[in-house]
Amino acid sequence: MERRKFLGFGAGILAATMVPASLSAQNYRETKVDLWKIKNEKGKPGVNAAIKALFGTDKVEDGKVKLKAPDIAENGAVVPVSIKADGASRIALFQDGNPEAAVVVFDVPKNGIPDYSLRIKLQQTSDVTAVAEIDGKLYKSTKKVKVTIGGCGG
Amino acid sequence: MRIKAKFKDGVTTVKAMAKHPMLSYIQAKKKGKEANFITYIVGKVGDEIVYEASTSQFLSKNPYIKFKFKGGQGKELVLTWTDLSGKSKTTKKKIK
Repeated sequence: MERRKFLGFGAGILAATMVPASLSAQNYRETKVDLWKIKNEKGKPGVNAAIKALFGTDKVEDGKVKLKAPDIAENGAVVPVSIKADGASRIALFQDGNPEAAVVVFDVPKNGIPDYSLRIKLQQTSDVTAVAEIDGKLYKSTKKVKVTIGGCGG
Repeated sequence: MRIKAKFKDGVTTVKAMAKHPMLSYIQAKKKGKEANFITYIVGKVGDEIVYEASTSQFLSKNPYIKFKFKGGQGKELVLTWTDLSGKSKTTKKKIK
């Protein structure tokens, strides 16, 4: 029975790798393995290094990205964040308060609208940075979120 | 996964919540468990990808996501997440 299950699982993976090119997906956990390991160290946040690891450059201008996050998060375990960047092809979110810098990377599909919301964890007061790639250029917006109770078990 | 997908004025708005503990490495260590969290979420309508996110341990427990895309009227949205352990879950929802 176990063996049967295993074979079925293998077939599933095979099917997934054989999807046509139009379906080709970008899983940055697989294509940019190192990005997710970039650490935030005391006095040396990893945000710029993470931006460089993902986009190939850390030349980033301010503007064009609308980042919405609370000024004060009473509970760091649930911090609502919204990112909007018209015309963006890729959007990524970073912060400098957790052990590692990268939070999420969105690839904006053809009919996707670059307007995303999610809830994140912040261990302590952090600068949250959203970066968007628009026409090959990088733009960012940073917001300080004050955390009164940490959300990473800290 | 709980999904709400609504079509209005040419745009589908999706709100979804996945049920997942999203244990970060620190949390897992404290609890004496293995870290495990959703690493990839993809949304499709038919063959077309409409949402794609590579995610980390820093998404909240039972992650909530919201996104929009053009089109989708009367069609079915298929959302799939995959976690660090390799487990995945697919949920289908008709767009209203």
